Amino acid sequence: MNKAIRSTVLFALVLSFAAIGVAQRTSGDVLIRNATVMTASSGTKTNTDVLISNGKIARIGKNLKAGNAKEIDATGKYVIPGIIDAHSHAMLDAVNEFTYAVTSMARIRDVLDPTDVTIYRALAGGVTAANLMHGSANPIGGQNTVVKFRYGRSADEMVFEKAPPGIKFAMGENVKRARNIPGVPRRYPASRMGTLEVMRDAFVRAKDYKKSWDNYRAGKTRVPPKKSEELDPIVEILEGKRLVHAHGYRSDEHLNLMRLADEFGFKISTLQHGLEAYKIAPEIKKYGAGVSIFVDFWGYKMEAYDTIPYNAYILWKNGVVVSINSDSGERIRRLNLDAAKTMKYGGVPEQEALKMITLNAAIQLGVDKYTGSIDVGKDADIGIWSGHPFSVYSHAEMTLVDGEVFFDRSKDIAMRKELEEERKRLEAMEPNLPPAKRGKKKKPEAKSEEKAKTPKREAGGVQ
Amino acid sequence: MKKHLLQFIAAVMAFAFLALPASAQKGTYAITNAEVVTVSGSVISNGTVVVRDGLIEAVGSSVSIPADAKVIDAKGHKVYPGFFDTNTKLGLPSASPPTRNASGSRSGSISNYPPSLRAESDVLEKFEGTEAKFSSHRNAGFTTVVVGNSTGIFNGNSVVLNLAGENVSEMVVKAPFAHNIAFKTERGGVYPASLMGTFSAMRQMFHDAKRLDEIRKMYASNPKGIKRPEADATLDALIPVVRGEIPVVIFADTEREIIRALNITKEFNLKTIIAGARESGSLAEKLKAHNISVLLSVDFPMRKLAENKEADPEPLRTLRLRVEAPKAAAALKNAGVPFAFQSGGMKNIKDFVKNAAVATENGLSKEDAIGAMTISAAKILGVDAQLGSIEKGKIANLVVASGDILDKDSSITHVFVDGKLFEQPKKKKKPAKADGDGEAKEINAGGVWNVTVEPPGMSIPMTFNLTQSGDTITGTISSNMLGSATIRNGEVTEDGFAFDVTVTFQGTDLDLNVTGIINGDEVEGTVDTAQGPATFSGKRDPKN
Repeated sequence: MNKAIRSTVLFALVLSFAAIGVAQRTSGDVLIRNATVMTASSGTKTNTDVLISNGKIARIGKNLKAGNAKEIDATGKYVIPGIIDAHSHAMLDAVNEFTYAVTSMARIRDVLDPTDVTIYRALAGGVTAANLMHGSANPIGGQNTVVKFRYGRSADEMVFEKAPPGIKFAMGENVKRARNIPGVPRRYPASRMGTLEVMRDAFVRAKDYKKSWDNYRAGKTRVPPKKSEELDPIVEILEGKRLVHAHGYRSDEHLNLMRLADEFGFKISTLQHGLEAYKIAPEIKKYGAGVSIFVDFWGYKMEAYDTIPYNAYILWKNGVVVSINSDSGERIRRLNLDAAKTMKYGGVPEQEALKMITLNAAIQLGVDKYTGSIDVGKDADIGIWSGHPFSVYSHAEMTLVDGEVFFDRSKDIAMRKELEEERKRLEAMEPNLPPAKRGKKKKPEAKSEEKAKTPKREAGGVQ
Repeated sequence: MKKHLLQFIAAVMAFAFLALPASAQKGTYAITNAEVVTVSGSVISNGTVVVRDGLIEAVGSSVSIPADAKVIDAKGHKVYPGFFDTNTKLGLPSASPPTRNASGSRSGSISNYPPSLRAESDVLEKFEGTEAKFSSHRNAGFTTVVVGNSTGIFNGNSVVLNLAGENVSEMVVKAPFAHNIAFKTERGGVYPASLMGTFSAMRQMFHDAKRLDEIRKMYASNPKGIKRPEADATLDALIPVVRGEIPVVIFADTEREIIRALNITKEFNLKTIIAGARESGSLAEKLKAHNISVLLSVDFPMRKLAENKEADPEPLRTLRLRVEAPKAAAALKNAGVPFAFQSGGMKNIKDFVKNAAVATENGLSKEDAIGAMTISAAKILGVDAQLGSIEKGKIANLVVASGDILDKDSSITHVFVDGKLFEQPKKKKKPAKADGDGEAKEINAGGVWNVTVEPPGMSIPMTFNLTQSGDTITGTISSNMLGSATIRNGEVTEDGFAFDVTVTFQGTDLDLNVTGIINGDEVEGTVDTAQGPATFSGKRDPKN
């Protein structure tokens, strides 16, 4: 086996054992020394220091004083903003509530799994934040949650509290074919027409609902209306308080949705996937939505054929805010290379390419005031890379969230032996022994093999 | 069908008669010369406990023995308060998969909710059985149990019962005790079919119950000008919950489940007790801060899979959690969280006290382990005035053991419930055997099993057609969605069957590892796949 492949395999293996609690408490005071800093907002600065104080970027410059900050020598390395994945289903215990056509009451926030190893793998790919979304089974799906990847902490501590609330919409094939279970009546809608009708109906109901509350609050009615977990978020959309992330592939659907939004006076924040968005780039620009895309992934279903790798370039050229998302626990680890591809296909400038996985995603999620670029005052969500992040030979060496180190490649490598030893120790302990071997600690192992012929399938308890 | 049913009934009855202790009797007893572990006070080294009319008449070292008392000389023995199992499904019919068309009202109840949200479900209405049925629990020292459901989301009330009595009225100690909530989903494609939906549905119903409560009050004070509130048995059952008048027992094992339980508690100001709580050790401080009590399962996680050199190693996290689980009790104790033990659905109730002993090997004091089976449980259940310790005037629930109950060489000789003595069945001498509990039962796995397999958010009807020959099983499985396939490596296990099978799903081969536990003509179990496990349950087709 090729040595490089072998070490990659080893690396992946070890990541899969990844420990809980790798974060070092730096109290968010760090000085990154002498790096090439790709700011994503104001160009690339060589031989530059970044001072982080209290988890925020305090100063960017040369020969900064460390004070009490922990110093990291980044000579020869690249510092970039933490990558933000604008469309992910990582760390979720549930993705789709497919039963109803409108499941705006469903909240991703309720089902976060902070132990998902995908988080650690994403950190190893320089990702610091993600937009965790409901699936695409419903015209109006559940409420999304933006998180920072503070791996090792509880779900509550990972939520990006300052991010505005959002919601998932979806159009097209996933919606039409959802809940197609043998023996169960199919769910409405089963067509693209029906999908829009369901949305329209939901907004009509939300307006009526709001009116009933307005009347009650104005003292016109005595009995309080029923509080609706379904319609409250839709009222928030109408009030401009909740961002709409709309899954869709075909350009006609994007146009239809934007028209529907205009009809009810709300705004689509981002078109998700938008494989055909390049066809209507000027229209999207005029409307003011962002688009979050895959760079070169298509053809996996009928509606996903008609795209080109120049999608990002054309959208950018037309002034649309473009981000590149993973929608996958695997692609999330190498979004840097997806950004690099936009330079190859069409020639997106380097900083614009970087923005597609950092600042632009932050803009789409409404958190660009806090993260997405290396600017004084922003959260210190930062990746330190071994080389240029757009090179296949580079990797993230350290990933910081709010100035705390949540991934450290050298620590990870050092930890592997320790983890292997821990594994051996744990595997020899009573609760981890296969049932056939339990409770025999003190006896010689000699004849136990024969007895174990019919394995016990259930734990017999401690014996 | 009829024939099988009759056989089944006959078997159950035969079992019930066998289990009926020959000498269950109420009367006056004096347990003398015993070491009395009062739990509430200090241990009485050479004490007497007098039992009369179901109550403890006297306890102490210089108690005179009444003339009419039957004397039990317990020299060298220890007397404990009867033990509590704070979470059981004793006496409840085993859950059958709810039917698809789930809405519509159940007789005697006004409700339009699917089965998993039937908050009005009354455990006493479903409870069946008398003391004879619960001998295995009682013989293991358990005199008081909490009975409640946890198969749905809102599972209705739970009750505290003593395991003696000829009918349920005699058994009830406290009804209701709490409302049982579990983070489950509705089956068969009905909302809520995902964990997200579970929380949304709970939220909506809590809001609705609060509103109904409010409108009911408005209407009661002056109905004029107000549309009369709808009758809704389900929401009515939730009103005491949202008012904080009745505690909720939330079933939560993992850290994140426990945190979800804390969040919903905070959001609706619930009076919460966490049940299960496998990973509660690391959250002990947080639970203390939220003033939460815990019904800790002693069904500690153990590896269930046989050794397999070709399988991927188990995740380190899993290995760690198994080792950490028995340490939770000590962590809760140290943080000052009130907790009691519960069996957590363990197969063999005899493992309960054994595992309590395991907790003492993991940092818990013996005294606290006994407390978690007695007085601490009574306090959490709100029955400590009458149960949980050996005190004059309390209910005579007692366990007499040949030695320290946490010592595996000790055995239980007498159990009193409500002053009624249940002598222990004399143990038959088991043939010396290196391992196993020697109670191997005959497994009949053959037949056509109609089961429902439930990967997250789905429900797939499937048929297993199995033929048993000795310890080997052959046959096929079939389903509309996955086609049919022939099973491999089929074998009879201790309590059911296991086999492997490969099915084709959307052009991809899926390897399934099926393990079923048979209980009469019912089966439940798991289907392991590379994509994760799914549970299944079903019944044997009586026609075949």
